[in-house]
Amino acid sequence: MADGQTSHVEAPPGGSGFGQSLDRVTLERARHGEMAAFAAIYERFSGACYTLALRVLGEASGAEDIVQEVFLKMFATIRGFRGDAPFGAWLKRLTANATIDVLRSRQRYREDDVEALFESIPAASADAEDRVDAWSLLQRLPPRARAVVVLHEVEGYTHKELGDLFGQSESYSKSILARALKRLGDEEGVDAGEHDDE
Amino acid sequence: MPESMTMNEFGGRFDPTRLPEFRPDPALWARIVARQQQRVARRHWQVTGVLGVAMTAAFAVVLVSPGLRRVTPDGGKHGAAQEQSRALEREWSSLASSRGANAGTTHLRAIDAQLQAAYDRGAGVEEISPLWQRRNRALRGLIDDLRNGVADRGDGITQI
Repeated sequence: MADGQTSHVEAPPGGSGFGQSLDRVTLERARHGEMAAFAAIYERFSGACYTLALRVLGEASGAEDIVQEVFLKMFATIRGFRGDAPFGAWLKRLTANATIDVLRSRQRYREDDVEALFESIPAASADAEDRVDAWSLLQRLPPRARAVVVLHEVEGYTHKELGDLFGQSESYSKSILARALKRLGDEEGVDAGEHDDE
Repeated sequence: MPESMTMNEFGGRFDPTRLPEFRPDPALWARIVARQQQRVARRHWQVTGVLGVAMTAAFAVVLVSPGLRRVTPDGGKHGAAQEQSRALEREWSSLASSRGANAGTTHLRAIDAQLQAAYDRGAGVEEISPLWQRRNRALRGLIDDLRNGVADRGDGITQI
């Protein structure tokens, strides 16, 4: 969907895939630096990392960079993973942090100005060619709003956690989510020809 | 979906559970492995470089540290006197062992102690050079005594 190399797969029952478990033997082998164990971890979780990054960034090359960065970091730090939280949750945090860092590096508007955030990408006009599906709706949001929607609505982050991730307040995250969902609702209506563009 | 009610409140029909899942380019893993190998190799060379620098620095400290020169005396400003002292000591040792005489060395050991103390406190050339010269004179005296057959006279023969 995002490019010629990316393959779209059926969603597993466990959501985006971070909820999958990792057996202790593979984890221990990875801690000892076995590449075969890393390969097994990549096989299991790379899709989840890539999907999260692609949903937020909206471009395959940026998402691949995130996956690469996350797995290189995982290689370097897995010895310090104590297993207090599930492995997938740890990897999700690495992925979310890396993705937010990329968003921050690309920031062109005042970070604390929610209005400016949404003005940076005006609401799309109705286009008969557009597919009205969750993906195309999501991609009409500004990247930071996509991040809030994906992390909150799909990955289960709280507004407090999102506020911390962005270096902002909890209400900042709530405000972005409310605006994002409003726009998603409005645009779906526009595409469906139900009411005017906002 | 924690905010699904909020979403409905805004009249939206966006359903995040219908977002597609993706898989990255199959070639990505090979690129990650290659990058990891580069990192490991770079880290190896960094460690090797640090060790090399550390060894060079340690060698330099041994060379310049006054406190360590007592073990490996330098050949700097006192080089000629030291070299002469070593030659004299070899000659004296050879004579002493062949004649079974080892007496008269108290003064020599006293000079050695003064030399060691001078190096330990980082004394300058003006203090150390005369000590090497005194040591050489003491050795010459011991050698002369041995050659003249007066080794048994005791320590008094090496008065300088």
